[in-house]
Amino acid sequence: MSCRKKANAGALTNFEVLDFLRSRGAAKDPTRVIAPIAASEFKVYDYLVESAACNQTRESINELLEKCKKYDLAKAEILNIINIRPASPVEIDPIIEESEKRMGEGIEDLIEMVTTVLPPPPTQMNTEEEVVAGDEEIADGEQTATAMATEN
Amino acid sequence: MFFLSLIEHTLRLPPHLLDLPLNEAIKGELESLFLDKVIANLGLCISVYDIRSIDGGFVFPGDGASTYTVEFRLVMFRPFVGEIITAKLKESDANGLQLSLGFFDDIYIPVHLMPNPCHCEPDPENKSQVIWIWDYQEQKFPIDGLDEIRFQVQSVSYPPIPVEQPKESKPFAPMVIMGSLDYDGLGPVSWW
Repeated sequence: MSCRKKANAGALTNFEVLDFLRSRGAAKDPTRVIAPIAASEFKVYDYLVESAACNQTRESINELLEKCKKYDLAKAEILNIINIRPASPVEIDPIIEESEKRMGEGIEDLIEMVTTVLPPPPTQMNTEEEVVAGDEEIADGEQTATAMATEN
Repeated sequence: MFFLSLIEHTLRLPPHLLDLPLNEAIKGELESLFLDKVIANLGLCISVYDIRSIDGGFVFPGDGASTYTVEFRLVMFRPFVGEIITAKLKESDANGLQLSLGFFDDIYIPVHLMPNPCHCEPDPENKSQVIWIWDYQEQKFPIDGLDEIRFQVQSVSYPPIPVEQPKESKPFAPMVIMGSLDYDGLGPVSWW
């Protein structure tokens, strides 16, 4: 009856899934009954809105991808960084294998770049000392996949 | 955490949906078929991303409904091994922890993948649960349910459907994620 043509047609960051749900009409209460979104999809939306993805924009992710090129990171590592938004070397440690060997001093630069390019999630905003200045626009409406959804 | 999967499926469209535009009727049927269900080796289906092509529409003899061959993409939740995920504590007992993501609950951290060394103490508030405490450099770090816990995915398994189940056991979990807390930067967010 059904066959899978391509089990993996591209990886999605948390932000892309959140953007997709938002473009279909998901939002915080009280429009839940009207939007054409199932209850199970709302649970995913609730989880993503509390994660680091809720403040991200398409532009900030593209900027991060550009700047990450010189560090020679694996695709899975970049995906983890976008989803978790590490703010200190100890958070980078489980994400990048053998981080000291491969990058050494570059870890500090990478973290500084991540904290300046990506806005902090709501839970981290209270504990961070530096205030990340800048406009925060939330992208709306686009359903096209970004550079991450490339074919393997 | 999320992937797109391209799937082709032969769909029978019940006649009571004939008044809807074709796209909507097919999307509704696909959603009721796939949403919130686990497909073996592909993961948990979160949402229908888009419909690529709709083919067919033939009515087979003896049937009142038309059959379509639809090609579409689904957003699947399937974490890869080594991914770092933040989740909330759901239960903790002598075998380890159970974490929940809201839309997915079957995440287990077995005892041997907890940070080393640690021990458990019976929870004073809740009799059936225990609190796990990490002993690090003579300091105690308890894993309580207050903040989110970061873990690394060790494996994702899809146990086969059992034919019979004893009555009192947990409902069958078609997709189980094993996680590990045994690394720098993992565990409750407040530890680091």
